[in-house]
Amino acid sequence: MAGKRLDLAGATAFVALMVVFPLVFDSRYLIGVLTVSAIYGIWAVSWDFMSGLTGRENFGHSLFIGVGAYTAGFLNTLLGVSGWWNLPAAMAVAVIFALVIGLPTLRLKGPYFALAMLSGAVIMQRLVLIFWEQTGGEEGINGIEPLIRSQLGFYYFVLGVLVAITVLLLALARSHWGLVLRAIRGDEATCQAAGLNVTFYKIASLAISAACAGAGGAIYAHYQLQVSPQLFAVVTSITIITMVYVGGMASIYGPVGGAILLVLLTELLRNFGEWRLMIYSCTLILILFFLPHGLIAPTWQRFRSRFGRRP
Amino acid sequence: MSLLEVEGLDKHFGGLYAVRNVSFTIDKGEIVGILGPNGAGKTTLYNLLTGFIAADRGRIVFNGQSLRGKPPHRIARLGISRTFQLCRPFVGMTVRENVIVGALGTARGGRADLDARARALLASVGLAGKEDVAVDVLSYGDQRRLEIARALAAQPTLLLLDEPFAGLGTGEIGDLSALIRKVHAEQGLTVLLIEHKLREFMRLVQRVIVLDFGEVIARGTPEEVVAHPAVIEAYVGRGNEPMAEGANAA
Repeated sequence: MAGKRLDLAGATAFVALMVVFPLVFDSRYLIGVLTVSAIYGIWAVSWDFMSGLTGRENFGHSLFIGVGAYTAGFLNTLLGVSGWWNLPAAMAVAVIFALVIGLPTLRLKGPYFALAMLSGAVIMQRLVLIFWEQTGGEEGINGIEPLIRSQLGFYYFVLGVLVAITVLLLALARSHWGLVLRAIRGDEATCQAAGLNVTFYKIASLAISAACAGAGGAIYAHYQLQVSPQLFAVVTSITIITMVYVGGMASIYGPVGGAILLVLLTELLRNFGEWRLMIYSCTLILILFFLPHGLIAPTWQRFRSRFGRRP
Repeated sequence: MSLLEVEGLDKHFGGLYAVRNVSFTIDKGEIVGILGPNGAGKTTLYNLLTGFIAADRGRIVFNGQSLRGKPPHRIARLGISRTFQLCRPFVGMTVRENVIVGALGTARGGRADLDARARALLASVGLAGKEDVAVDVLSYGDQRRLEIARALAAQPTLLLLDEPFAGLGTGEIGDLSALIRKVHAEQGLTVLLIEHKLREFMRLVQRVIVLDFGEVIARGTPEEVVAHPAVIEAYVGRGNEPMAEGANAA
């Protein structure tokens, strides 16, 4: 299949570009921006896997990010657990939160899941502030050890995690599992009539999504070397959803591009000072208005159908 | 032994009995029709049988197993497939993918295996050549065929069809009813059918159960049922309203 070969070539070119970029332009600032964009990429892809495919919008993805980051922070600073153990621990804690919220609300039709996720994130942020003696309150947790001393090495690690998660979720999304998730988006009753346990699929997808987001949160904690209650902020979730929309919902790979594009855009606009938010918002509105299916994935699809047919 | 036994089934919504004290049995290999005016409880009965609504009282036994309290996907796995009154294709997917989803709940097979089965099913319902078409562009008649292909993909022993002829033209109705006869004859499938298009319906079914206000008011062969005074009263009333063929169900 020429199309598949083109996909592979495109993905390889993208990864190569991300690898070479910091080598060509050797600057700590650039590596930092790329690291953050790769972390946002992890969050956007994991959001898309659950919400993009099943159509059950998760307005509190920051909850999983936050609990992942705080898990890593606590384990590292209080118990001195090494960073590498914090990643699976953060994933596990995020999965527990996903089950606690998903089990009761994903059975129901209607907006309960979206609302529960949104309020879950807000409540966690409040709780962190209320129990400031344990959590550090607004200050958060400081003094987290870096995972990898070299900044470039850490960036390559994050990039590797992003690629691994994207490949994994893409494979799942293109398997029968993904077909069921897309069918759930279409009509739950018909899925049930076909003998599919819709609730199980939704909860399992949320758990997978949460695990990836939690890992991203732990990575972020080890990058910033501190965690703060800001991580739980609703605006983080909204930013991630915007990245998915710009990238192309339910495409899995699109949101990676969306995340990188929007992080870079934010950085490029720093020169514009106070105009930054204005330009950023207008760009987003224009993209979402004129390209309701997003920018990255549909563009790639068009490119693919034009050049992918040749033998 | 009968395939499906329903006994004393009750379901009320507030003060309204949608299904009241309904009892019947279906034998293996039968085509049975369910007839009744709008709001008679036909679709509610389907929802009770397939677990989408919980019954208040009564017994539903399928193949010797009680279905009461089982969730829809469990009941489907036991061998009951259904279609819905309105076509509900999974939009954004191809025709073939729609059928594969229909098979995934019950089948454990490889990708190629399921793919081949989906193609064979689509060919048998007359959708060959449209496997990779997006469902959104199918004609209504083709969507009906797809519904049946998807229901059959789960390899049911009992197929519940909810107004399969609704919205179709005369020629399409003939084709679809030939298709139902074919799957019945070839696979020995037991079929339960709700329909308003009486002419085709009466030719297709072997036995009819008539519901009105949630209760069984008559049962028998198509000929017996149309002559039954209670049925005439339910449809025509004591007044003078003519029977509305092809009316939409509630």
